[in-house]
Amino acid sequence: MPGKWDWLKDEIGFSNLLTGGRMIFKVVQGKLSADDLTKCALCPNMCRHACPVSIVEGRETTSPAGKARVALMIREGRLELNLDNLEPLYTCLGCDLCTLYCPFEFSVADLIQPVKEEAVNMGVVFEEFRKVFENLETSGDVYGNADSGTDGSGKVLYFKGCTVRNERPELAEKTLVLLEKLGYEAFTISETCCGLPAYNLGNTELFKKVAKRTAERLNATGAELIVTSCPSCAYTFHVLYPKYGIKLKPQVLHITELLGEVIGGLKLKGAGTVTYHNPCKLALHLGRRGLLKSLLENVEGLEIREPRRELFCCGHGGSAVSRLKPELAEEIAAERRKQLRDGAARVVTACPSCELALNGDGLEVLDIVEFLLERMEE
Amino acid sequence: MTLTFDEVLKRPKRGSVDEAIAELKNLLGDKVSTKPADLFSYSHDYWLITFHWLLKGKVPALPDAAVFPESEEDVVKAVKVAHEKGVPLYPYGGGSGVLGATVPEYGGIVVDLKRLRDLRLYEDDLMVEAGAGVNGYYIEEYLNRRGYTLGHFPQSLYPSTVGGWVATKAIGQFSTRYGGIEDMVLGIRAVIPPGKLIELKPHPRTATGPDLRKLFVGSEGIFGIMTRVWLKVRPYPEERFLLSFASESLEEALDSVRRILHRGARPAVVRIYDRVETKRHFYKFEELYGKIGTVIIVEGDSRLARAEKEIVEGEFKGVPAGEEPVRHWLKTRFNVKEISEFAPIGVVIDTIEVAVNWSRAAELYGNVIRAMKSVKGTLMASAHASHFYDQGVCFYFTFAGVPPKGRSAEEFYNAVWDAAMRATLDSGGTISHHHGIGRHRRGWLAEELGDAYEVLRKIKLAIDEKDVMNPGNMVM
Repeated sequence: MPGKWDWLKDEIGFSNLLTGGRMIFKVVQGKLSADDLTKCALCPNMCRHACPVSIVEGRETTSPAGKARVALMIREGRLELNLDNLEPLYTCLGCDLCTLYCPFEFSVADLIQPVKEEAVNMGVVFEEFRKVFENLETSGDVYGNADSGTDGSGKVLYFKGCTVRNERPELAEKTLVLLEKLGYEAFTISETCCGLPAYNLGNTELFKKVAKRTAERLNATGAELIVTSCPSCAYTFHVLYPKYGIKLKPQVLHITELLGEVIGGLKLKGAGTVTYHNPCKLALHLGRRGLLKSLLENVEGLEIREPRRELFCCGHGGSAVSRLKPELAEEIAAERRKQLRDGAARVVTACPSCELALNGDGLEVLDIVEFLLERMEE
Repeated sequence: MTLTFDEVLKRPKRGSVDEAIAELKNLLGDKVSTKPADLFSYSHDYWLITFHWLLKGKVPALPDAAVFPESEEDVVKAVKVAHEKGVPLYPYGGGSGVLGATVPEYGGIVVDLKRLRDLRLYEDDLMVEAGAGVNGYYIEEYLNRRGYTLGHFPQSLYPSTVGGWVATKAIGQFSTRYGGIEDMVLGIRAVIPPGKLIELKPHPRTATGPDLRKLFVGSEGIFGIMTRVWLKVRPYPEERFLLSFASESLEEALDSVRRILHRGARPAVVRIYDRVETKRHFYKFEELYGKIGTVIIVEGDSRLARAEKEIVEGEFKGVPAGEEPVRHWLKTRFNVKEISEFAPIGVVIDTIEVAVNWSRAAELYGNVIRAMKSVKGTLMASAHASHFYDQGVCFYFTFAGVPPKGRSAEEFYNAVWDAAMRATLDSGGTISHHHGIGRHRRGWLAEELGDAYEVLRKIKLAIDEKDVMNPGNMVM
C-alpha cells in the first residue's frame, strides 16, 4: 500500500528536494514542527462549536483558537502580561471538549497553562484568585473553612472533597450509607483540598505544596482504597499527582467507578424517565464516557433519554470562570439546562459542582448516589 | 495601548473614532470593548497570508473597538453612531473567511454578531428563522433533532455562523442537491446606514421588483449588517447511498457527472479529485491510487434516491470502488491542519475556488494548474471539482510552495494568486465560486465585472453614502 506522503514525493519531484521541498519533508517526517500552541493559534477554530464558553459568550477572544492566539502573543511579548490580557485565558472551563474535535487532540487548557503559570510567578493575579490561594494556604480548603471532622481509620476512605464538604454535606452522608449497603465500611478524615483549584488558576507551586500535604495525610491513614464523590478530586489524584511526582499509596476510585464494579449484583427498580449529565472530568479526563449511562441502565423499568448533547460543561469547571465571570458561568449552566430539558425534567449526574450548577429552572438534578439509593429503597 | 505590532495595512483612520466609541459605551455599556486582547482578536479573519504576518509579529490592521450586540436594537445603535461619526464598521461572524473581508482596514469598530443566536422552526413552511450569530453546527443539530436538515455543510460548519454564510455567499459540500446558501435564503433582516432596520420578508416567491434579498447575499458587509435570516429546510433524508469510482482521466469523470445532471439526477455530494489529490486523500484505497477518484453521495426520499443512484451507476464511466472511500471522506472532511503544520516553517499554502462552464472546464483546470506551477517556488498544485451544476463546475485548487530567495512570503503568495486569477479569466471562468472577494481578491474584481463594477460601486454608495460599512472590502 502506498504511504501517506507518497503523493507529495511524486508531486514535488527530486529536483525540488534540494530547495523548499526539503523543508516540507522534514515536517512530514516529524523532524521539523511548530510548537503546539502555535499550531492551535493557526487553526480556524474547528472546535468552536464544542466550546461552551465560545458558544455562549460569543466573543472571538475567548474562542479556543482565540485563547491560543492571545496566549501566543503574550508569550511572544506582543501583548503585555497583564490582567486585561489574561482575562480571556481564564475564561476557560478546562472541560477539554475542544480536544474531541481537534485533529491534533490538543487541550486548549493545557496549551495556555504555561502563560497562567508565568502570570502567577510574576504576581499578576486576579483578586478573586488571591482569596482562593490564601484559603488553600491557611485552611487547606478552597472555601476557607478548615475541616473540623475527626480522623477515622480502616481500609476504605471516603474523600468528600471541598464542594461536598461545604455545599452538599448530605451527599457525603448518603454516600457513606450507600457504601455501607454495598458492604464497605468506609471512614472519613479531616480533609485538606486535593489542590486542583490552585493548579487550574496557574499556581502550580501552591498546587504541589497542597497536594503533597494532602497526599501525606491520605497515605498516613493506611487506607487501601480512596473513594470520592468528586470527579475533579479523582482526576487530580489519578492524573496530576503522578504527573508531578506526588505519590499516593491507596488506589483511587470515583464513586461511579466503584459502582460500575458492583452494580450488576444490585436489585434496582423504578419507573420514570431521566436524562443524565456527564461531568467533563469523569467522561473525558478519567475516560469514563459511558459509565454514568451504563449505571442507569441497570435500573429496571427506567426510561433513559439521551441529553441533547452528550457532553457540555455545566459552566462551573476550571475554577476560574465562576469566580471571575459568575454571570457567564450561569449563562452556560442555563444553556446546559435548556439542553437537558429536551431530555427529561429529572437529571442524574455524578459531580457535586455540576449538580449545584444545574439544579433549578424546572430541572431536578440528583447525584447518582442519591438516585441509586432511592431505587434500592423502592 | 499595550500592543506592539507593526501594522501592515497602514490606512488613515476615518471619522471621529473616539467620539463614536464614547457614545457607544454610553449606549451599550460593557458590550463595547477597547481591550488590547479584543482588538488583536478582531485584527484578522482566516486570510492565510496574514498568519505568516502574525508569526512575524505583524497584524493586517487593528480596530479601535469591538462591539458585542445582544439584540437588533444594539446593531441599530452601532450603525447609527458609525454613520453619524463617519467611523468604519465591520461585521464579524466566525472569522473563518479566507480573504480578509473582516479585516478592519481603516480602523473603527468591529461588530461581532455571535450573541444573536435565537432559532425558530416553522415546520409547515419548511423554514427556519435564525439570528445572524447562530453557529453552523448548532443550527444543523437543532434541525436534525426535529427531523430536518439545512443541507448546508461548508468545511467551516463548526466555526462559522449563519450570517457569515449569507454575507459571503457560502456553499456546502452537499450543494449539488441542496444548492448554495443563496438557494436557501427566504428572508433577511439587516441594518443599513443611517441606522435603519429593514426586513425582506420570507415569502415563497415575490414579484415585487428586483430581488433585494439577492443584494445582501454575498455582500460581505458593504451595505449593512444582517441580523436575522429565514432559510429553507428539508426533511432529513430517509436514505443515503455511497458510491465511488476510479476514472482514467479527469475529462471522463467530468463528462460522467455532466451526463448524470443533464438526466435530472441530483446527487448531494459529488467530488472529483485529480490524480494528485486522489493519491493524497485516498492513498489507502488501491483501486483509486494513481487514478481520478470520484466520491458521490445520493440521498433523500428512498424511492427518489434509489432512482438517482441507478442513473449515477448507469452513467458513470469508471470502475466502481465501493462505499469505503466515501466513508473515509465523511470521516476526514473536517480535518483542517495543514496551515498549522506548514505555515510556521515558512511554507505558503492556500486554496483558490473558481467556476467555469462545462465547455471549458478541462481547459481551465489545465491552465490554472500550469499557471500556478509556473511561479518560482511553487512545489505543488492540485485540484478537485466539488460543486456541480447543469451548466458547469467549481474547481477548488490548492497550492503550496516556499518563497524563493529574495522573495517574501507575501510576494510569492500574490504571484501564485495572480497567475491563477489570470488563467481563470483567460479560460472563461469566474474568479470566485464561494469564498467571495474580501480584501485579497478585490484587485481582480473590476476585470471580471467590466462596466458592471461601476454599478456595484454606485449601489454601495447609494446605500452607504459615507462609506462606513466595511470600507475597502470588495469594492475600492
